[in-house]
Amino acid sequence: MTVAHVRTQGATWDELLTPEGTPRPAARQLLDQLAALEHSELQERQTLAELDILTMGITFTVYSDGRGIDRAWPFDIIPRVIAASEWRRVEAGLVQRLRAINMFVDDLYHDQRIVADGVFPAELLERSKNFRPECVGASPAHGVWAHISGSDLVRDASGTMYVLEDNLRVPSGVSYVLENRAISKRVFADLFAKQSIMPVDSYTDELNRMLVSLAPDGIANPTIAVLTPGIYNSAYFEHSFLAQRMGAVLVEGADLVVADDECLYMRTIGGLERVHVVYRRIDDEFLDPEAFRPDSMLGVPGLMRAWRAGNVAIANAPGAGVADDKVVYAWVPDIIRYYLGEEPLIPNVPTYRCLYDDERRFVIEHIDELVVKPANESGGYGLLIGDRATRSELDAHIALIEADPRNWVAQPILSLSTVPTLCDGEIEPRHVDLRPFILSGRHSYVTAGGLTRVALRKGSLVVNSSQGGGSKDTWIVEDE
Amino acid sequence: MLLSRTADSLYWGARYLERAEDTARLVRSYTELVIDLPTSAVSTWEPLLAVSGSSESFHQLHEVDSGSAEVPIVRFLLADTHHPASIASSVEQARENLRTTREIIPREAWQTVNDLYLYVGSNASSGVERRSRARFLGHLIAECQQLDGVLTTVMNRDEAYELWRLGQSIERADMTTRVVGVRAAALLFAEQQAARDGEAMADIHDDVQWMGLLRSVSALQMYQRATRGPIDGAAAVRFLLLDAAFPRSVASCASRIREALSRLPRSMRTLPAVDELDAVLARSTTGGDDGAALDAAMDEVQLALAAVNDVVHDAFVQSSV
Repeated sequence: MTVAHVRTQGATWDELLTPEGTPRPAARQLLDQLAALEHSELQERQTLAELDILTMGITFTVYSDGRGIDRAWPFDIIPRVIAASEWRRVEAGLVQRLRAINMFVDDLYHDQRIVADGVFPAELLERSKNFRPECVGASPAHGVWAHISGSDLVRDASGTMYVLEDNLRVPSGVSYVLENRAISKRVFADLFAKQSIMPVDSYTDELNRMLVSLAPDGIANPTIAVLTPGIYNSAYFEHSFLAQRMGAVLVEGADLVVADDECLYMRTIGGLERVHVVYRRIDDEFLDPEAFRPDSMLGVPGLMRAWRAGNVAIANAPGAGVADDKVVYAWVPDIIRYYLGEEPLIPNVPTYRCLYDDERRFVIEHIDELVVKPANESGGYGLLIGDRATRSELDAHIALIEADPRNWVAQPILSLSTVPTLCDGEIEPRHVDLRPFILSGRHSYVTAGGLTRVALRKGSLVVNSSQGGGSKDTWIVEDE
Repeated sequence: MLLSRTADSLYWGARYLERAEDTARLVRSYTELVIDLPTSAVSTWEPLLAVSGSSESFHQLHEVDSGSAEVPIVRFLLADTHHPASIASSVEQARENLRTTREIIPREAWQTVNDLYLYVGSNASSGVERRSRARFLGHLIAECQQLDGVLTTVMNRDEAYELWRLGQSIERADMTTRVVGVRAAALLFAEQQAARDGEAMADIHDDVQWMGLLRSVSALQMYQRATRGPIDGAAAVRFLLLDAAFPRSVASCASRIREALSRLPRSMRTLPAVDELDAVLARSTTGGDDGAALDAAMDEVQLALAAVNDVVHDAFVQSSV
């Protein structure tokens, strides 16, 4: 298969190819290998990879007609390659970002210095849906609230990498990073032998170590539980995967109980057993029907009491989501400068905040050139891409913005970078983003690469697996 | 440490898989038996329904005369996803239960279950055809055996493992009991009848029937090795119920049930149910060659097994709620 087939689209950055169609240095070995393969061989490798995914039971759940269906995970065998020298800068930028964000959250639940100093507007805080008054004054270990986060990175036509959003609540996808690698090692076994591709497997160990570092009273050998909403959740596969890799217990709310001593226990065949650390994969609102939604069947009554009493650690800490909000996002560069006195190492995508009259006016006037996003939705829901919307869709969004300006931000339409992708037997460029995962506890850790999501439909910018996106392995290749 | 909820899933996952495997053995041996019998002999497929306890639900849905019942009955037992005891449903139930225990059972074991599920999904209807039936059932049994092998060789001998063995042994004992209760009892009864009427034994193809019966729990070869004589009905029944050396005998299953429960918590509470099972089993063959007595005795053993099932549920699932 010759790479000449793989033409880049004029004003788009391709991750593997230069505009002249020659390999970028870190991708040279991969492209040589691809060139040496017959078309049919490549297709056969893709088919085998899909078969592996099916028999290994690597799935995600989609909802259709009110029921969850277990679907095979969509995977494209051609990896995205990033040079290690570039990755080290990205890694440092992510660690910097999360340090600042955690200081910000901790400040919001204590003295709110950043508000008093006029850097972050008080009205935003007052109207934040994810600010939890129940968390005020709480002091989780190491001052860290967002222990596991996933920041979405995109690259524009100039090659600049931006942070598009920060996911601080219950980001998912890391299990697929590990599974994609397992598959890709089979597909390109020879390339792994020939060059230095950074391994990703240590993530679960690092996660385990981080969770241990949160244990109350410095217990050295704490019992860790992964709290899942259950088998019908779209990320159940991942919950189970992570529990399995850490030797942790996978629990549902009904398996847990807070006893009179304000400690958390799980129901085992031998009676109640203490749990010290909960890696929860359910949203704040469902955590504890005593504190939040009283109708929640997923949570544990009294869990917040146990947490506030310091008898159990919860990751991510309740309330951490206050900083996971597309409006707060727009202030992150200021937040980094305020707490760390440093310039952000990775820039934000320029973001217009509809809260401010002048920025809102600009958004409404230029709505057909912008991506408009609601502050608190995930998975691409409620998002409007201006140049692909009809006039009436645009007008409907303008009405929504005017009704509740605080809930909306807008960004220029980025031309997301592409990676050559096998589509119906041909190799064609498809748009990608990247979600690395960052662990923050006593120490910080960033995955080597992350989850590359790819929009499989031609020209599409929507990479979410719930909306027809696929995935690729991400190779950080030593280039020096 | 094992969560009550997970314990329940493992236990039922094991039971459903064992049920699928046992049903496969049953259908396979019965098909061979029917092929062996001369066409003049009455061939009915009803005993398959009786052994698997599906007669009533089958006849509610199907009106067939016994001459043409093979395909509908075999399809009902193999491929009908609306029939909760079919192989297809059992495998699906097993997978649903084990899907919530993926962090507990070895990864290879889950993959085997998943493979089996995919295989049954696309091949169960071809297994209904007589000519591809043996291949389908043989493959299914082999996958179940592979799973057993994975668990035996790579799983920690912990509470999860014991729960698995427990579910498997209870289900297996249940199936052997049904085979004896339905088919052995009927054969003994027919022999008595024949003896009374002075008919030649050969007319009911006695040996072939008993061989088929032993085969349905894969006991024929082991029976012959152990007894080294011609097949005798009463001896075959004793072998299936009481032989300590044959792993699918009810007594062997009972002793594995005891072993598993002794290693699990709250054994003071659970073991009395196994004592009762042993007692019932010990007196189950006192009726000698009397078919009706054997049938009644098997009902008693089944009740004792159900009591073990209940005490397991109370001790491990219910008590911590």
